[in-house]
Amino acid sequence: MRATLRVALFCSPLRRYCAAESRRPLMANATPSNEPSSAGAGGVNDDGGPDFSLSAASSMERLFQDFRVQLEESGNIRERIRGVATEMEAALRVMHASILLVHQSVSVPEVLMKAKAQTDVLRDLYGRLAGILRECPGQYYRYHGDWRSETQNAVSLLSFVHWLESASLLTHVEAESKLGLDSSEFGMDTEDYLIGLCFMSNELPRYVVNRVTAGDYDCPRKVLNFLTELHSAFRMLNLRNDFLRKKFDGMKYDLRRVEEVYYDVKIRGLAPVGCIQDQGS
Amino acid sequence: MMSTTSAMKVEFEHHSNYLNELNDKRERVVKASRDVTMNSKKVIFQVHRASKNNREEVLSKAEKDLATVTDHFMSKLVKELHGTDFWKLRRAYTFGVQEYVEAALFCRFCRTGTVLGLNEINATLVPLSHPSDEPLQINVLDYVLGLADLTGELMRLAIGRISEGEVEYAEKICRFVQNIYRELTLLAPIMDDNAEMKKKMETMLQSATKIENACFSVHVRGLEYIPLLGTDDIDYSFMSLQDLDS
Repeated sequence: MRATLRVALFCSPLRRYCAAESRRPLMANATPSNEPSSAGAGGVNDDGGPDFSLSAASSMERLFQDFRVQLEESGNIRERIRGVATEMEAALRVMHASILLVHQSVSVPEVLMKAKAQTDVLRDLYGRLAGILRECPGQYYRYHGDWRSETQNAVSLLSFVHWLESASLLTHVEAESKLGLDSSEFGMDTEDYLIGLCFMSNELPRYVVNRVTAGDYDCPRKVLNFLTELHSAFRMLNLRNDFLRKKFDGMKYDLRRVEEVYYDVKIRGLAPVGCIQDQGS
Repeated sequence: MMSTTSAMKVEFEHHSNYLNELNDKRERVVKASRDVTMNSKKVIFQVHRASKNNREEVLSKAEKDLATVTDHFMSKLVKELHGTDFWKLRRAYTFGVQEYVEAALFCRFCRTGTVLGLNEINATLVPLSHPSDEPLQINVLDYVLGLADLTGELMRLAIGRISEGEVEYAEKICRFVQNIYRELTLLAPIMDDNAEMKKKMETMLQSATKIENACFSVHVRGLEYIPLLGTDDIDYSFMSLQDLDS
């Protein structure tokens, strides 16, 4: 037997492996008396290795069983949230499409009416979302990523509509109340709100261009005032190097484009006289 | 015009304060997490120093060090994280907590050969928070991610044990790692953000394979070979163990 083993040590890897396979049953029967070599390596554990109980494997199984149940539950919640988020996305698409009519000189009240119908749909969906999250208190931010972009989009559309309506900024609180959110329970994340405003700013250059084409020469001044103010308000924020920062950095291009349009209109004397003075003062 | 200007200013001052506070807090959490990581790593190194002769002494020291990490550094995290921060700032502290879980599991495994449950770890964190606050509890995800990392340390431990001739111990480690890997194959796909876990599963399989191969090598060849060479200066290169640790 020893001779076979010795050979196994020094022959080619493949042969060695085969030899090992055939040797296994032998090893099981080997006793220290006729196989002294095995005593040195086996059984060392008696003097101080950890005490491995047989129940270790089953206690591990129980632990993981618990985890599986928990993770499956949170997976279900996430799936339901994603379902709502998909519906939100659809509602937002319809809302966006209806708002795009402002570029085609459809009257503002008409556009607002259509947009508001979708706001109601959104409010409903946010209500459902809040309902789901009520089941897992404190875990808002665990699932937040699943409706973030929808919220940002909603803020961008709502704040644009709000500006069309009142020429002022939709505040965070107003945005929440439009969507029926209660900040004590299910609020709107501040960063989502701010990112939404940046998205809204992206829409303004196109709006200005189309309004001027349609003969509204006062529009650039109004938009420029608003956007300048918004931009300088954003500069009060200490931003990290994150998505919001990137979006804010993009805002200056919107501002420049609107300035250009304003300049084009002004230099040709198209802007109403009173308004030019207003801007200058 | 003036009124809307100041209204917007007020609105943004509000957000500015919010962001400043959030960023400061995040920064503090990141720092605390880094301290937890660094000191948990030291605990793991300490556990690795254990060998046949000094096990008790080394493990006791490791356990004491772990208690220090809990009291000095985990407590800082506990102080910062309240309510929604727990999930909101998870990315800022997850690595520290994973390392901490790993160190705690490693100590427990070397002591008893069992897996330290999440409830047990969380129970040690309860006294750290103010009685009126909801105590910080490590979540399942960070626990499982820490457990996944543990297999890397167990691989090193197994190789080390084999070098010292504690083959039976190494085989038990092997079985333990195989169990963990098998259980985690069921969990990994249903975890929240499983990209990180997927990567760890691959590494874990590598670690498991390395232990299995080392056990195989020593089983097949080592038993005959060790006594022939003597025990003082053993050349293990024939087992191709030297690159297993990397």
